[in-house]
Amino acid sequence: MSASNRRRWIFRAIAATAIGAMSLAAAACGSSSAAGPATSGSTASSDASSSGSTAPGTTAPAAGASSADASSDSNSAPGDEKAPLTMYSGQHEPFAQALAAGFTKATGIKVTLRSGDDAELVNQIIEEGAGSPADLYLSEEPGPVAMLDSKGLTSPIDKAALAEVDQRLLPSTSGWLPYAARTRVIFYNPALISEKDLPASVLDLTDPKWKGKFAYAPSGAFTSTVSYLISSIGPDKTLAWLKGIKANGVNEQKNGKVRDSVEAGQHPFGLSNHYYWYVLAAQKGADKLTSKVYFFDHDDAGGLLLTSGAAVLKSSKHQAEAQEFVKWLGAADGGQQVVAGDGDAQFPVAPGVTSKSGIPALSDLHFPTVDPTVYADTSEAKDLIIKSGIA
Amino acid sequence: MPDVTEAPLPPFDHEPEPRDSGVPDGGVAGASPAAGGRRRRFATRGHAPKVVILAAALVAVASLAPVAYLVLREGFSFGVLMQALDSPSTPELIGNTALLVACIAVTSFVLGVGLAVLVVRTNLPAPRLWIVLFTMPLAVPGFVAAYTWVAASYRYVPSSTTIFGLGGSTLVLSLGLFPYVFLPTVAALRGVDAAQEEVSRALGHSRLWTFFTVTFPQLRIAIAAGMLIVVLHVLAEFGALQLLNYSTLTTAIMQRVLVLGAPESGRALGMVLVGGAALLLLLERLARGRQRPSRVGRGVVRSAARWPLGLGGRLGWLAACVAVSLLALGVPLYIAVVGLWDSFVGAPATALSGAPGIDWGALGSAVGGTLQLAVAAGLVATVVALPISWLYARHPGPFATIAERSVWLAHALPGIVLALSLVYIGVRWFRPIYQTPLMLVAAYVILFLPLAVANQHVGLQAAGKRLDEAAHSLGFGRLRVFARVTLPIALPGVAAGALFVLLDSAKELTTTLLLIPTGMTTLSTGLWSTTNGEVLDFTAAAPYGIGLILVGVLPAYLLARRAVQLAT
Repeated sequence: MSASNRRRWIFRAIAATAIGAMSLAAAACGSSSAAGPATSGSTASSDASSSGSTAPGTTAPAAGASSADASSDSNSAPGDEKAPLTMYSGQHEPFAQALAAGFTKATGIKVTLRSGDDAELVNQIIEEGAGSPADLYLSEEPGPVAMLDSKGLTSPIDKAALAEVDQRLLPSTSGWLPYAARTRVIFYNPALISEKDLPASVLDLTDPKWKGKFAYAPSGAFTSTVSYLISSIGPDKTLAWLKGIKANGVNEQKNGKVRDSVEAGQHPFGLSNHYYWYVLAAQKGADKLTSKVYFFDHDDAGGLLLTSGAAVLKSSKHQAEAQEFVKWLGAADGGQQVVAGDGDAQFPVAPGVTSKSGIPALSDLHFPTVDPTVYADTSEAKDLIIKSGIA
Repeated sequence: MPDVTEAPLPPFDHEPEPRDSGVPDGGVAGASPAAGGRRRRFATRGHAPKVVILAAALVAVASLAPVAYLVLREGFSFGVLMQALDSPSTPELIGNTALLVACIAVTSFVLGVGLAVLVVRTNLPAPRLWIVLFTMPLAVPGFVAAYTWVAASYRYVPSSTTIFGLGGSTLVLSLGLFPYVFLPTVAALRGVDAAQEEVSRALGHSRLWTFFTVTFPQLRIAIAAGMLIVVLHVLAEFGALQLLNYSTLTTAIMQRVLVLGAPESGRALGMVLVGGAALLLLLERLARGRQRPSRVGRGVVRSAARWPLGLGGRLGWLAACVAVSLLALGVPLYIAVVGLWDSFVGAPATALSGAPGIDWGALGSAVGGTLQLAVAAGLVATVVALPISWLYARHPGPFATIAERSVWLAHALPGIVLALSLVYIGVRWFRPIYQTPLMLVAAYVILFLPLAVANQHVGLQAAGKRLDEAAHSLGFGRLRVFARVTLPIALPGVAAGALFVLLDSAKELTTTLLLIPTGMTTLSTGLWSTTNGEVLDFTAAAPYGIGLILVGVLPAYLLARRAVQLAT
């Protein structure tokens, strides 16, 4: 009897271990294929069918694996041989998804998306080194993509692609392509402050009279602003400005929260990026919003124009397909239509394409002219932001 | 009888022996001196099996890998560390963190211990129901609770900023964390011998005096262990604090790594954080106290009499219990349901948060992803924790203590530091599993191993070593004793450990964000991608929020049921 009991126990122990091991193995198999160089698109491939609102962006691994073979899409280009691309993206996820889906629809090339924050993903690419699974990088801010470029991790963008977009926005290195732009603005709540009382320049915000009056967010665009300030007014004045912002402003952490807190009447005004307001306006109706957008009427650091960039990674084994993506992205009849039509309200950068989201034309804006390579080395900006106590 | 010491966390130890001998064996010749008397026969062969020691050492080393990474990674220099310590922002961050930890420690102590006493030791109506309700906040992840509170604030008092900052953070996090103190206290209260309290009362001491001088000291170990888990959670919290506009070391690390792109200064702050965690681990040792309660008489512990509350008292305390439940569960559930309603009636979601309506496919695969990962983490952690908890329970000593404490240290690291170190280690030495679920499961196991160890330890204590000895004397080998005697009795504790790991893995956000295989989603990353800290309206997040809570309800309920069995 004791022997049978013992056997039962040993059996149970073995069974438990086996179940554990199996579930692990199953978990590993589920997407180990995604890690290898021959990505089978087994996960979350943004294929054409996902451009709709139902977006099965995350198909079950097993089902997805089989769909990789079935690339007999009616509107796909004849090149069935083309490898699927892996794109890391710091851009807003739905926007990046829309771009990936648009490209897949146009070319039949599948794109697997990994979304996150710019700095996080750029660091991940650096840590991953030559073995990075990423073929493309899609940034939200100019800094991170410019940094990849300055570290020699990107391939030069084809001339034909560079020719598609507004030449004033191009980096002097040609290591990445600007594909969309945002501008820094002030959101204000007219119930708490009138437009004429807004500061003439963000540099004035260090004045104690602004204490507790405004919100800001230490976002990537904020870091870009600091990089720009260092290049224009020097590090010492920039640090003093940062300390003033920290002392006078309310850190709302994120630009979206800056918008919402100003709209809710928690602060008279806030520093943010233009599209947050337009997204909310599209959702609720511009006339229903209390807050308003103020674009600087002169070339102020508070009205900086910042581009989002796309880069082909040097480590990618699919250079041709990745270049094809970038070319499509900048084309007036390609990715720029997605930028213009997407609810994200960012500025298209190809001449002649205008956004459908009610934002002003790029040509009507006032902003300082900057070579975006200024944003590549953010180390000094980071130091100053940390020194000021903001992050 | 074994139930007496079954708490989710180590309660006090009934065994007064300073050093337990192990399971005797025929193979390894022990050399430890005879402990004397009854146990000589075992003490002479009292060394732990080498395999177990080796396994425990391996696990401890693996747990310390992320900490080692902070120091050993190429490019680390003490210059950077000194610079970080010297930076004017660091003292402020340390101050903020310490303040929040202190506030939440106090509130979760008051809530956890107070409610446990109320439920177990008074004639409050429906104690079982309250135990379940006070355990359920475990199913609500901190960042979900914070998100719903912020959404509620924006919805009903838009221009108010009350919820933000220290006060709001303390409120929201305490309401989610107090069960970690409540559960072990319930179990420990049950283990206190009624006879001692009766003696004290017979000597003319008041109920309150008796509680503080006789009962409370016996709860110290359970409370200290629960508080440790609470404060370590606070140290590592990111999502909730980001939403509540409160800066701590961890939010600063996340900010520096994710947004600023300054991982080296993030790592330097990580060192400071590890230092703080080590300090807390030490404090917990001190808070446990050295005294071991002795029992009056032998046999089963009788439960103490319940304090009678008057009608007014019962109503008042009942109202307090209702209030706590409403704040801890009602607010998140209400906002989630409102959000779900909004997404059904089609209030358009923002472009930043995706298309309107519920994407069932995405939601389904997120549920699948969460379950797959969390269950795997629970199982693996259970297996991996066994050598350490067994050693710690059966062969206490410097080695066991070091192994156990090193497991705890990793628990205090912010997810981001662990994630970065695993990316670094994975890319270099474990390329084939990099960005696979295996890697993420490994991260969960490292992060939540202490929960498994602590609970297994309790279970193993319940299966007292004397039973092992008895089984041995009947001629069973070491493995057979473990499989047939120790494990079955320890099983509830082992299972509780697995449940805690499962729960925390399902709720985990920061590490998951970095290590998740490309294309996979879990409920927590799915939810986070609907807000990213930017969007404050809970509509798009609601399905994920409810999914997360539902996934957590079953394990939380099982934990609550155990507590109910113990306490009533």
